[in-house]
Amino acid sequence: MKISRNWLQSFFDAELPSAEKLAEALTFHAFEIEGVEQTGNDAVLEVKITPNRGHDCLSHRGIAKELSAILNVPLARDSLSAHQPLTPDSNTLSVTIENRELCPAYAAAVIKGVSVGSSPDWLKERLESIGQRSINNVVDATNYVMFELGQPLHAFDMGKMANKDGMYEIVVRNAKKGEKLIALDGKSYELSPEHLCIVDAVADAPIGIAGIKGGKPAEINQDTHDIIIESANFNAVAIRKSAGSLKLRTDASVRFEHELAPGLTAYGLFAAVELITKVAGGTLEGFFDIYAEPEEHMITLFASDTNKVLGTNLTVPEIEDILKRFGFSYQREGERFTMKVPFERLDLRIKEDLIEEIGRIAGFDKVPATELGVFSKKPEINDSFSRSENIRQELVSKGYSEVITSVFSKKGEQAVQNKVDSVKSFLRTTLLEGLTESYEKNLHNKELLGIEEVKLFEIGVVWGKDSEETLIGTISEKEKAAEMPLEKWDSPEPTHFDILSKDFDISKYYKPFSVYPFALRDIALFVPEETTSEEILVIIKKEAGELLVRSTLFDEFKKEGKISYAYHLVFQSMGKTLSDEEVNKIMEKISVSLGAKGWQVR
Amino acid sequence: MQGHLHPITHLIREANAIFYKMGFTLENGPLIESEHYNFDVLNVPKDHPARDMQDTFFIQGEKGMVLRTHTTSAHLHYLEEQKKKGIPPPYRGVAMGKVFRNEATDMTHEAEFFQIDGFAIGEDISLAQLRGTLEHFFSELMQGKTEIRFRPSFFPFVEPGLEVDMRVTGALAPEKLRDRWIEIMGAGMLHPNVIKNYGLDPEKYRGFAFGGGLDRLAMLRWGIDDIRLIHSADLRFINQF
Repeated sequence: MKISRNWLQSFFDAELPSAEKLAEALTFHAFEIEGVEQTGNDAVLEVKITPNRGHDCLSHRGIAKELSAILNVPLARDSLSAHQPLTPDSNTLSVTIENRELCPAYAAAVIKGVSVGSSPDWLKERLESIGQRSINNVVDATNYVMFELGQPLHAFDMGKMANKDGMYEIVVRNAKKGEKLIALDGKSYELSPEHLCIVDAVADAPIGIAGIKGGKPAEINQDTHDIIIESANFNAVAIRKSAGSLKLRTDASVRFEHELAPGLTAYGLFAAVELITKVAGGTLEGFFDIYAEPEEHMITLFASDTNKVLGTNLTVPEIEDILKRFGFSYQREGERFTMKVPFERLDLRIKEDLIEEIGRIAGFDKVPATELGVFSKKPEINDSFSRSENIRQELVSKGYSEVITSVFSKKGEQAVQNKVDSVKSFLRTTLLEGLTESYEKNLHNKELLGIEEVKLFEIGVVWGKDSEETLIGTISEKEKAAEMPLEKWDSPEPTHFDILSKDFDISKYYKPFSVYPFALRDIALFVPEETTSEEILVIIKKEAGELLVRSTLFDEFKKEGKISYAYHLVFQSMGKTLSDEEVNKIMEKISVSLGAKGWQVR
Repeated sequence: MQGHLHPITHLIREANAIFYKMGFTLENGPLIESEHYNFDVLNVPKDHPARDMQDTFFIQGEKGMVLRTHTTSAHLHYLEEQKKKGIPPPYRGVAMGKVFRNEATDMTHEAEFFQIDGFAIGEDISLAQLRGTLEHFFSELMQGKTEIRFRPSFFPFVEPGLEVDMRVTGALAPEKLRDRWIEIMGAGMLHPNVIKNYGLDPEKYRGFAFGGGLDRLAMLRWGIDDIRLIHSADLRFINQF
């Protein structure tokens, strides 16, 4: 979520540190920061809120609260600290919820006589700083409260709704099959009973897709005078499914999908009414509040448990200080803390949750690195691994190189659903397909690789209709591709495999290879018998330069006091396809240079 | 002429040797896994956004079966074997192998890739021991003194949940890694629900768990710039190892 530093600052009297410092504080004590962007006189942090904290930290208040604990700076204001009663009751609006499981709470307010227009500059700036578009003062106010407190809100134009003797009625119910709604994005959505919707009950017409998007029929515009503000709580799973099936993920739906505390509705509504009457005028007519009694959660924690889990030596006062920084209400007897969980912290339920809070605020750098200690038992030998490792040694010594190919195939006994790339959705029944493909791919690179024969093996899993099995497959130019079950391979008794890889040389790096074709040339020459191949290669390499990527001596014989050497020379460029002329030129240079030594190039 | 082992094999071989000496048994687990082993016992509720973190391949016509999204799923198989043999805690296990995510491939993403996951369960396991274990492991693997740093994070099966960074120092350390903090793993203390789902008493036993990508480790270790090379079966790549 985008978090504005200026917006955060509005929660504190003390001047906050720079955006970079805030990013560092959050990184090591709360959330990953995906970026910091300077914008005019503000800075915006891209905070990656973890799924367990969506219910309180997809908001500036949530992040401010975190920073207050991390930096040990008190909040100057906290809208969630004091409960505000939603009074008086409305005389014009009633709300009915058909299924409380899908909609645990619904608070609404009626404001009459608003003047819809553009928002004041400060409000526009706040929203624009986090990439939101200003729409009008009423809609902006509801969005502002969402990004401030995390509670999504929606404003309906009451004047566009039907009434019965001056009474308006909202019903929260599942959509009927085939029911349609044109949403605020201008698109028509066909709803079905899996979607929860907000309905103008008098007209029996949907005016919003619950928790996801408002509808055109009750859109706020210049002509709007009387409005209904909705601050509701919807079931996370239901919203998640609806948003998924409608392919409509909104800032509101994302918050509901993370599950919000039902108790948040009243705070959100109160803040919205206050802000709307400030920026758009109008008078509060009254509220209709369906709420859920908040459950109370207590956590008991011993300081010593904290230290056992973290491996730290935090003192009781240090732990107490962290609980204070969070503003948690708690009681302490000796080293025992009994703490009341704030209603919005749905993630705090067990002592381990609280230990995490203490650990991250104290800083995980306080956790020392200690030995795990000697294990009281001997670790077991893994038979199939030992077997595989022995087979690998055997095959590598016979010149086979190991490949790992895809388990996906165009045919098979089992398949996966919804594969993103939608090709090869079956699971392979054989290794031979992948091995053959790999073999063919590598065949034309033999000279480049300096190998006489392409020999490959794979130890991999294949699937039958109800089976999963590990096979060993081999392929080479001289033998047909073959595979057999791992268990059938003749292999010594399993032992702990302690042969370390010789090739696991720490100073060795992968060298990128050219994607361009290589050119192959042969050169043979007669030289005096005492001449070594190395002497010749020095000259060849000097003349060829970096385009010569491999030189292999492939033939050598003596005749009449002279010796003949023959080489394969492989030329390749990292940047282009070499032309015949280019290679011929190099060969010419090599020949001239070798000839100058008095050697006879054949 | 000798053939060449795949770099992932080199890594698994080294990692196994290091962990074996620390008392960790190498575990086996199937690649087609039930949601029970892959998600439910690991405290990942159905219909929870946490399941979005790992886009899953579901098996057609086999309700509740998936291609495992992590090797963490192997732990319960190992623990069930121990239980059958009547062996009580402490336990230490490590699993390595192929895992799957339903996503498009690019230079840093593969739908099939390799993971390492490990855990230790006992009466006195702590986060400090996790840090010590990982410091030892990476120091051996990277052949240089390695520091481990924790950052807060979230994985449903651990509490506290952590992101693990490492910093390798010393002359032998791979040049591209030397003296830099690099994100390398996820880890934490096993959630009491997981200990319970493992059939153990969370009041008596605690554990730590860690897990990360072997492809990424290989890429860092050898300076490989494209994850697809690891799965390419191209000898121009493999024969360098």
